[in-house]
Amino acid sequence: MSSAYDFPGGIHPPERKQRSNQVALMEAPLPSRVVLLLQQHSGQPATPCVAPGDRVKVGSLVAKREGMISSDLHATISGTVGEVSATQIVIESDGKDEWQRLPSLDWQQADPAALLARLNESGIVGLGGAGFPTHIKARVVERHAIHTLVVNAAECEPYITADDLTLRHYTNEVLEGAQIIAKLCGAQQIVIGIEDNKPEAIQALERALQHALPDSQPLAVELMVIPTRYPSGGERQLIKKLLDLNVPSGGLPADVGVLCHNPGTLLAILHAVRDGQPLVSRIVTLTGEAIAQPGNRWVRLGTSVKELLEHAGLKPSELNQVIQGGPMMGTPLLTLDTPVTKLTNCLIAATIDELPPPPAESPCIRCGECESVCPVALLPQQLHWYARVKDDAKLERYHLFDCIECGACSYVCPSHIPLVVDYHEAKSRIRLQRIEAAKAEYAKHRFEFRQARLAREEAEKQARKEARKSQQRRTPTNAAASSEKIDLRGLRIAHAAAKASVKKAEKTLARVAQEDPKQSLDDLEMQLATAQENLKAAESQLAQAKEQQAATAPSQNEDSP
Amino acid sequence: MSMMHASGVNDAAGAAVVPPTVSLMRWVLVATLPGIATMSYFFGLGVISNVLLAAALGVALEAAVLRLRKRPIRKTLDDSSALLTGVLLGVSLPPASPWWLIGVGMIAAIVVGKQLYGGLGHNPFNPAMVGYALLLVSFPTYMTLWAPPQELISSGLWAQITGTMPTAQLDSLSGATPLDAFKHKGEAILASEFWATNPLPDGTLSAWRWVALAWLAGGGLLLVKRVISWHIPVAMLGSVLILATLFYLSDPSHFASPIFHLLTGATLFGALFIATDPVSAATSRRGKLIYGAGIGALVIIIRTFGGYPDAVAFAVLLMNLCVPLLDLYSVPRPTGHPKSTRGEQP
Repeated sequence: MSSAYDFPGGIHPPERKQRSNQVALMEAPLPSRVVLLLQQHSGQPATPCVAPGDRVKVGSLVAKREGMISSDLHATISGTVGEVSATQIVIESDGKDEWQRLPSLDWQQADPAALLARLNESGIVGLGGAGFPTHIKARVVERHAIHTLVVNAAECEPYITADDLTLRHYTNEVLEGAQIIAKLCGAQQIVIGIEDNKPEAIQALERALQHALPDSQPLAVELMVIPTRYPSGGERQLIKKLLDLNVPSGGLPADVGVLCHNPGTLLAILHAVRDGQPLVSRIVTLTGEAIAQPGNRWVRLGTSVKELLEHAGLKPSELNQVIQGGPMMGTPLLTLDTPVTKLTNCLIAATIDELPPPPAESPCIRCGECESVCPVALLPQQLHWYARVKDDAKLERYHLFDCIECGACSYVCPSHIPLVVDYHEAKSRIRLQRIEAAKAEYAKHRFEFRQARLAREEAEKQARKEARKSQQRRTPTNAAASSEKIDLRGLRIAHAAAKASVKKAEKTLARVAQEDPKQSLDDLEMQLATAQENLKAAESQLAQAKEQQAATAPSQNEDSP
Repeated sequence: MSMMHASGVNDAAGAAVVPPTVSLMRWVLVATLPGIATMSYFFGLGVISNVLLAAALGVALEAAVLRLRKRPIRKTLDDSSALLTGVLLGVSLPPASPWWLIGVGMIAAIVVGKQLYGGLGHNPFNPAMVGYALLLVSFPTYMTLWAPPQELISSGLWAQITGTMPTAQLDSLSGATPLDAFKHKGEAILASEFWATNPLPDGTLSAWRWVALAWLAGGGLLLVKRVISWHIPVAMLGSVLILATLFYLSDPSHFASPIFHLLTGATLFGALFIATDPVSAATSRRGKLIYGAGIGALVIIIRTFGGYPDAVAFAVLLMNLCVPLLDLYSVPRPTGHPKSTRGEQP
């Protein structure tokens, strides 16, 4: 079925997918050494929990999630931990490829909490590009009713075929992964959105859906084939196209009852749940004219980009640049001595003829072509003027932060103005200003956190002292007990309030982190930590009070009869 | 950040993409050729000498100002925009206009109208129309007399060099344009009576029609090549036709017919080559429609009630004035914004 709805604008860049989608999916050779970056997901970097010299197997936890928006990190080869620094962990291979898996979970029977815990401890993040921790995304159901799970298989960027190959090779697995997430978030339907330039994946999906057994696919799945047009794979654009729902500006798909996942992520979810396999490898598209054997590979995270490309037959004399991601939204790599991360979906080794540098910029002549291709219906050339003169008030009023940085405007600009670069810089500048403006506020939050931590420590100390005291005196003295009226009710209320404020802080953080992945989350993490300290303090006070009451209650009972 | 660019690749869907800015201007230059050719066929070589002189002056003046402003000269001249301004002003002037007239017009266009505002992309007014309007109000005698078709004698070119008016054009009404003639027909005469007197030299009306159609052909090329979008021409011609029809139906004996308005004077030329100058036009699609419709309306109003026979230059300049306002009030509603913010000004 195709869709009648549409988003504005859009472009048709050359697809150039044939180079990588005609080759079967293969395993990349096992690297002899991996470099695991501590930050390969949105939010806070993970904290290493191994030391140099430690022996690890594939799947051993090597770094733990730090704060709420963060992700666990696992060894991707078996061997010995080498260097552990503030930014990365190096593992030298022993060549054995020994695995350490978690027990298998039956997702149909398993408790949602167990499934969430599994996603968390498997280090699963969105593999489409944003790298948002999947278990946080799955917890959206605590705050929003979700009716539809959208499987975003549009893969609208040129060159990239990782989702295409994932769907062709792991059709049933992806569908099962979708069922897991649909169950977790309580969705009533699953919609797969795919562009019509992937006929083999579409066929595979149609076959799988026809032959699906009702117990492996309890929820109805609808396959929607949409015309190829960039950027139909943008979350908002796809939701508009498939369901005719408008995600509000500054909002999330969850606000209209939708959750979006990429096929690669769904496959990783199934592997984590069914096989107990943490996220240690992913499918990467290797393409571009400067490599001899393009195609998609299963790559262990942390593999060097250079090794990977060399194995694919890199022709250094022809290479002009390597782009991580697609040619529209990806970033050129400054060095090839960089590891593959959870977010590396595509590596393009491009020749200069293939992706030539843009011609010299000429002045904007206000032709309005950018406006006609903008998928958000912004006025890119107005934004351009205001970005160049740094008129931030105007930029925000012309909805700079609604820009999804898809690059359609830069693509069509007849004056070759790097519009998206301008917007990107303007956004960073405004974000920094916001942080500057809120500095006093942040300082207050840090102070509050310190107070909360001290209070919690005090409360715990008190609790320990009381516990010791009550052990020393077998029978509590009536005088002391009765004079201290225990306000159990008040403490319960305080405890509930603390719990609510933790929930609120989590909600704010999860929302902000998803709305603008590039925003600094330090302050919100701090506020969450404060709320958590308060909760701990309230918990220990409540526990202590309960104990006291339990201790005094029998003595009172003795008195009364 | 976008490593792909439309100019470096072929569009996958096979659809035409907008040519780069540098070739954009060249396409417009190419599209003026049918108009120039037709005009010189009917009005003589004076048209071509006008165009050549104005274009050369345009480039020279732009280079001179760029030098004073210490800006790169070669790179800027490459965009051909000064050349284009010269061509557009050149075809607007009566054939074989005196050299100093063209010079004054080009100084007003390039130096005042464009470079003083910061060059290409920063000029609020259409430069060619700035030059034209200045000449029209300052030297009306030189500006309103057109040689009758096929009557330009070779002395015309000599007159251009010496800076005097070609003698043939001094012959009172013989040099008037159809619009001018109709404007000055007087209240007493009905339109039908006016046309019955055969007020214009033979072939004048059809010459102007052929010229208009030639501009339409050139404009068609620009539309096909996506150098211009349809919004402004369609809105402008639409409002010209609608208003002219309303007036004509209300009193056919006094008002000119809509076809007359469409095919004489600078209506088609203005709609396709002048009003579509993107720099001085509104930017959003809605803004462009309002902008074009405004020009069309002003053209009819000034032609009918104003003191000048034609009005494209004034209409365009007046609407140029409105562009900042149009841009402010025609901001499209981005996706994901509730409808209620539609009227909210940025």
